[in-house]
Amino acid sequence: MAFSFSDLVEEAWLSARALKDYSENIFNPTIRLGVTGLSRAGKTVFITALVHGLCRGGRFPIFESMSTGRIATARLAPQPDDAVPRFGYEGFLATLMEQRNWPSSTVDISELRLVIDYQRKNGAERTLTLDIVDYPGEWLLDLPLLNKSYEKWAAESLALSRQDPRRRVAVDWHAHLATLDPNGRENEQETLVAARLFTTYLRDCRNEQFAMSLLPPGRFLMPGNLAGSPALTFAPLDVPMDGTPPERSLWAMMRRRYEAYKDVVVRPFFRDHFARLDRQIVLADALSAFNAGPEALQDLEAALAGILDCFRVGRASVLSTMFRPRIDRILFAATKADHLHHSSHDRLEAILRKLVERAMQRAEFAGATVDVVALAAVRATREAQVQRGRDRLPSIVGTPIKGEMADGEVFDGETEVATFPGDLPTNLQGLFKGEDTFRGLAAGSHEDADFRFLRFRPPRLDTHDPDGPALPHIRLDRTLQFLIGDKLQ
Amino acid sequence: MTERVPPRRPATFKLTDPSVVLIDSDDGNLGGTSHATASASSSSSASSSSAPPPRARVQLAHEKEPPIVAPKPPASLINPKMGFRWGTLFWSAATGLVTLAFWLWVSKLIEDLFAQSQTLGTVGMILALLAGGSLAIIVGREAFGLIRLARIEQLHARAAKVLETDNRAEARAIIRELLKFEHPNPQLARGRATLEKHIDDIIDGADLIRLAERELMTPLDIEARVLISKAAQRVSMVTAISPKALIDVLFVAIAATRLIGQLARLYGGRPGALGMLKLMRQTVSHLAITGGIALGDSVVQSVFGHGLASRLSSKLGEGVLNGMLTARLGLAAVDLTRPLPFNALPRPQLGDLVKDLMKKREKED
Repeated sequence: MAFSFSDLVEEAWLSARALKDYSENIFNPTIRLGVTGLSRAGKTVFITALVHGLCRGGRFPIFESMSTGRIATARLAPQPDDAVPRFGYEGFLATLMEQRNWPSSTVDISELRLVIDYQRKNGAERTLTLDIVDYPGEWLLDLPLLNKSYEKWAAESLALSRQDPRRRVAVDWHAHLATLDPNGRENEQETLVAARLFTTYLRDCRNEQFAMSLLPPGRFLMPGNLAGSPALTFAPLDVPMDGTPPERSLWAMMRRRYEAYKDVVVRPFFRDHFARLDRQIVLADALSAFNAGPEALQDLEAALAGILDCFRVGRASVLSTMFRPRIDRILFAATKADHLHHSSHDRLEAILRKLVERAMQRAEFAGATVDVVALAAVRATREAQVQRGRDRLPSIVGTPIKGEMADGEVFDGETEVATFPGDLPTNLQGLFKGEDTFRGLAAGSHEDADFRFLRFRPPRLDTHDPDGPALPHIRLDRTLQFLIGDKLQ
Repeated sequence: MTERVPPRRPATFKLTDPSVVLIDSDDGNLGGTSHATASASSSSSASSSSAPPPRARVQLAHEKEPPIVAPKPPASLINPKMGFRWGTLFWSAATGLVTLAFWLWVSKLIEDLFAQSQTLGTVGMILALLAGGSLAIIVGREAFGLIRLARIEQLHARAAKVLETDNRAEARAIIRELLKFEHPNPQLARGRATLEKHIDDIIDGADLIRLAERELMTPLDIEARVLISKAAQRVSMVTAISPKALIDVLFVAIAATRLIGQLARLYGGRPGALGMLKLMRQTVSHLAITGGIALGDSVVQSVFGHGLASRLSSKLGEGVLNGMLTARLGLAAVDLTRPLPFNALPRPQLGDLVKDLMKKREKED
């Protein structure tokens, strides 16, 4: 694709700001850590646990600078970007610790600044500023739209919606679509209906039964302050890929709004936030995909691949930090690892590694460091062994959330149970080719599913500690070591 | 594709259920039994499908496929064990004969003594028994020392492997052994306590090894560095002032032997005379292997950098060189006697030690 003039302007703008950031950072190094993941992957909990662990001093044996005592203090600082909401850390922490509920999900971008005072290995005292940027992964799925025309996007969305199991959800929207004539006169009411049905279809795809991930445009699911504006009121039409719309037609209107969506929503996000990250962690909830079925897993793979295509990765050099910041470390984390016995963590990691294989190769080729980890930012369970017949099932013990069901029983949110969620598959080749698959909730009833990952409530905490309770975790220290450990040498 | 074993069904149990055993994960003993049950149940599942409870295979995935396969050293083309080992036979037989001759001589001697007088005989008997007993103890200690050295070597190799394969169960086994191994060292009480606290946490194999290295090896590494630079300083000083080359050589040899022994004891080995011989041999051969690399990084630079000193006084230059030789020997010995490979902590560089050496020199001058 040839660079247009606007692209050049954009790049120049980015470089200018990068230079400004760089000059500010010489004496006070700052890392912008991007935290993303598709919704319900656990972004909010991850950030809350990370900040709490750093500020309070958690149990982080693998996080070298903390366990050897070189981090003197870590504290929250006022949020630097005036136009971005602050990450509501205190509220989320209270929800997590006092009410024992999971915080509600991220709907918008938010940011938090953490200042870490530490001492280098040679004794020099330094300060590291860590800007944590939290944004919904769905927005990332919009970034590829920048290079797509309306016609191409419409054709792709339609093709996707005609596959199983999405087809079943899209029935209403398809019916309405058949009544529309793209070359007919523009009609606000018809467009509103089409957009509403399309949004409903996207939303239905996301629920627990199907757990689909690849659902652009992302702002339809999380409209924020743009809800109801024309930029969010469009839907795919059945139009030829290389046609031109007649003037004042429905097609022309949809196309105009699609372009507006790109200008108003996608491009500012890319420019103001995404292009400035130094480190990135991508959280993915592979276990819900297992809960739902093989289609959800394949969809997750496609969505992750889409996300990863957007990153500007590569080894950071002096010149690149000055003019074109790149992400030089990416960590893929399979969250909610506490829903599995630890003996299955290696398999979970292997599955995630397989999911992001292509993207990892590309990033490594560009010189970035990439790793995969099975993570639980807040560990809600303990481990146990259950004897069933001759089997010893590696199980976990926790309190399921009120309303969760398993084996025909509905839990009240107070009693603890032990659960064996099923064995994760080892045959990864077959898993992604569609052979040797498993049955999920999307295919039938609860009794048939090969996996059942219950959702648990946050753990009951030890309140006797004078520093206040610490949040238990799995491999949060390893995550920290990978993401910022090298900056604290 | 292989035949599909039905996966174990997910299930939920009440905590009041007697079959629920709350145990902290200890996959060491589970790993062993799981394979046995795996083969047993997969063969029986086809025939006895009527029995409901044991319907699935047990497969605990402790062992992950190694992500990176380390290049194996190519097997030697000449098989050293070709043919019958006549040399071994000869030496064994000869040793046997000598032992018998010795035994004969001792028993003869004691008989003769008894023939002379009862008292002399008794004294001779007691002396012989004492000599025999202490010999047994010496042999035992030598053997113990050798075994300990071999265990260190083994731990080192296993840890290096875990750093590649990230095997959790193996890492835990290594840490447990290491904790036992370093138990007598009072310096490490705190590090041991920390490690014991974390051993049952969910930590990946390679990370666990790194953690152990950081907790247990840090104080030892510092001390090792001090020992090496002290020895090097002593050697360079003696070389600088000694009148005869022979004295230099002798002193270097003695200092190096002492240094190797100290390092071995520091890291937990208890080498006896045989162990020391073995260590010396290994150190020198290790030095020969790594010598090329070491030359590449810092030695050349330090030698030429300190050329000025040697031009001022050739004795001084020789002293520095001998000191550096000792330091290199010490570093090679650290590689051999340290139970964990260098990974989380930096390997001491010759350059640092040379700096220590020069600092001392300058102070003295």
